[in-house]
Amino acid sequence: MGAKRSFLDEVREVARGWNWGRRPVVPRSAVDTTPPPPRFEFPTDWARTPLGRAARTAILLGIMRPIVWNETAPEVYGLEHLEGLKGPVMFISNHTSHLDATLILTTLPQRWRDRTATAAAKDYFFDVWWRSGFTALVYGGFPIERGGGERATRKAKQLIREGWSLIVFPEGTRSPDGWMQRFRHGTARLAIEMRMPVVPIAIIGAYQAMPRGRPWPKPGRPPIRVRYGEPLYPAEGESHQELSLRMQQAIAALFDEDRTSWWEARRRAARGETPKLSGPAGPTWLRMWESSRPVKRRGKPPAWR
Amino acid sequence: MARPGFVLEVDERTPPLLVHEGEGFRLERFPLGTRVVYPPDPLPRIRDVRGAIRHALANPHGSEPLEALLKPGMRLTIAIDDISLPLPPMQAPDIRQLVLEEVIELAARKGVEDLKLYMANSLHRRMTGAEIKHAVGERVYRSFYPHDLKNHDAEDRDNLLLVGTTEKGEEVEINKRAATSDLIVYVNINLVPMDGGHKSVPVGLASYRSVRHHHNVHTMLHSRSYMDPREGRSAIHDSCRRMGKVLEDAGIRIFTIETTLNNETFPEPFGFMNKREWEWSTAEQATYLAAKKLNDLSPPAVRHQVWMRMRSPVGVTGINAGATDPVHERTLARLHEQQLVPVEGQSDVVVFGIPYVGPYNVNSIMNPILVHCLGLGYLFNMYRNKPLVRPGGVAIMFHPVPWEFHQVHHPSYVDFFEEVLAETTDPATIESKFEERYATDPWYIHLYRTSYAYHGVHPFYMWYWGAHALDYLGDVIVVGGNRRSCERMGYRAATTFKDALEMASETVGRSPSITYFHMPPFVLADVT
Repeated sequence: MGAKRSFLDEVREVARGWNWGRRPVVPRSAVDTTPPPPRFEFPTDWARTPLGRAARTAILLGIMRPIVWNETAPEVYGLEHLEGLKGPVMFISNHTSHLDATLILTTLPQRWRDRTATAAAKDYFFDVWWRSGFTALVYGGFPIERGGGERATRKAKQLIREGWSLIVFPEGTRSPDGWMQRFRHGTARLAIEMRMPVVPIAIIGAYQAMPRGRPWPKPGRPPIRVRYGEPLYPAEGESHQELSLRMQQAIAALFDEDRTSWWEARRRAARGETPKLSGPAGPTWLRMWESSRPVKRRGKPPAWR
Repeated sequence: MARPGFVLEVDERTPPLLVHEGEGFRLERFPLGTRVVYPPDPLPRIRDVRGAIRHALANPHGSEPLEALLKPGMRLTIAIDDISLPLPPMQAPDIRQLVLEEVIELAARKGVEDLKLYMANSLHRRMTGAEIKHAVGERVYRSFYPHDLKNHDAEDRDNLLLVGTTEKGEEVEINKRAATSDLIVYVNINLVPMDGGHKSVPVGLASYRSVRHHHNVHTMLHSRSYMDPREGRSAIHDSCRRMGKVLEDAGIRIFTIETTLNNETFPEPFGFMNKREWEWSTAEQATYLAAKKLNDLSPPAVRHQVWMRMRSPVGVTGINAGATDPVHERTLARLHEQQLVPVEGQSDVVVFGIPYVGPYNVNSIMNPILVHCLGLGYLFNMYRNKPLVRPGGVAIMFHPVPWEFHQVHHPSYVDFFEEVLAETTDPATIESKFEERYATDPWYIHLYRTSYAYHGVHPFYMWYWGAHALDYLGDVIVVGGNRRSCERMGYRAATTFKDALEMASETVGRSPSITYFHMPPFVLADVT
């Protein structure tokens, strides 16, 4: 026999070769001849049972919130817009960081948090068992296929009918350069079809704190502001393109409000002059350069540096 | 349509690859850039096999339907491929059983009474009753064994007939009962392109006198390869064709039934061995780990039994009947569909994992000579056009090559290994100096005829089988091989694959191109 390996070495070899815990990879020369893995719907309903919800609250408030609040300096505004609102609603936000869903879920009042689920991309969050389990448990996540179509929203509709509010990132994925990408129309379509209010949320500073590619926030407790806006109601006969546009404008107005003041932002919005969030035209480096400018801290400067 | 085979190029994403090493297996990491030849996925199996057999018998190629050939009062002989096929033995019912039942049913209906069946074992060992029963099924076995269903005896002078001589002076001597029958029906399993065609009757039912004309060093050196039976490519097949012509000219009527199988080789829970490694599910990875550990921990006798009891879940992919040539043409086409993989260019090093079973150690032991036959014979020759490795290149094989022989099945192998190989490994010298003595040794003949021993000359053929590779290669290195056994055969033994590559660098330099021939399941490289 060749040199013998211990069983532990053998397990390590298999674990390394097959990327246990990470996405399976296919050798480059075999990509064209390897069929996609069989469809597997990771079960998530268990995470929305009373026990699952209690565990979620405990993890979010007992682990995730202290970590995020320790590593960054979040501030929350506009939660009063949720008062008197009846669920289910759709929370939509710009999406630049893995912090986004945590920030929303840890800042939502308990009554909302307890009945809110997060739409998570199936190909990313539900590809390996541990990530699927984590997403389902901590975020009440359920898989949604990026391709759209009836199958993609079937689960979302079922949850809405059962009274669950949803967190949806209409851009479909995290922004590569910090600027807001085009909204996919599936979100607006779903809101119109299910006749549900849409609550816009602007998350400012998450990109600067933990952009794509970083597994942990930057040091120095970077400031983050989470601004909830007024709910938008799909109007009678409104098309999904129109609602989608209103959603983008609402988030842009919240950014504007953060940058200046509520009053100035309202006036600019009335004039149709709210700055767009699509960022400056130009090369990628320039867009990233602009979007990664540090967010100004509010309040008094720290006593010690 | 089944997914075709392909050539993988090992990159940093490639998991370690499965390598067979006798009654064991391992995962081995290959250097980046190594080419790995994978067989096509299994072709879909025929669901209604009996229906397909009936259709083939009623619609033969180049012949009248079998029913029309069967007449009351005729002498009918049915010859059947022996224990060497398929590999591993297939799960019941064996395709030979299904074909035989249909043929015998027709014969019974047409009033045939004089019917004999022979296992076409040529110079192979006789099959035991249990082995025959597995191959032909209980019904055929109970009706015919042992008087009318027998092993062919290549040393039974009373039942051999010299039919004639080819234009090249090759004597064609086959089973007398078959030669004097009104019709021979040959039931074949075509596992690799070497099988079937005119290699069935002129070899399977022949005597040493006849077989020696094509099983010799000269034909082996001129069969490039003997897995490519096209005219002019394989001297052994050219010889068989000439012999087939002699039989035909003598008025011997042969109705050939050839069958092809898909390459679903290993049953569950060893199904992961049939798959490409990066497609293994988590359950299959766990099965690998469990199977590997259990296999390594098992006492050798238990391990041997587990492997030998393995029955392959292969499916039947084709049944063709009629005249030998048109049938074989279709058989080869189907076989190529299942096994052929285009490969561009040769490499400096070729790597083979030698599996636990070859044609000559079913229910037996794979002794060092059979390792040679399987590695440098069968696997090396699984090509068309040119070998996977360049002239003067290196073959690296994985096998423990134990100094171990089955005393009942392979008695002459023991002496061949101890006496002949101790003196020389040169096939031509071996042939001229020793073959005749072993082939005519009365004790070996006695064991062949009355026990379950391979013919005395058989180990010589096994050695000749690798003659072309020995002549062609610059070095042969066996990873994990018993040093004494390897040394006896002129190989070199390495402890690890890395050591083997290090040793190969003496012959092919430090940056050789490497091809790993990922087999089993069977794959045939079409090298351009």
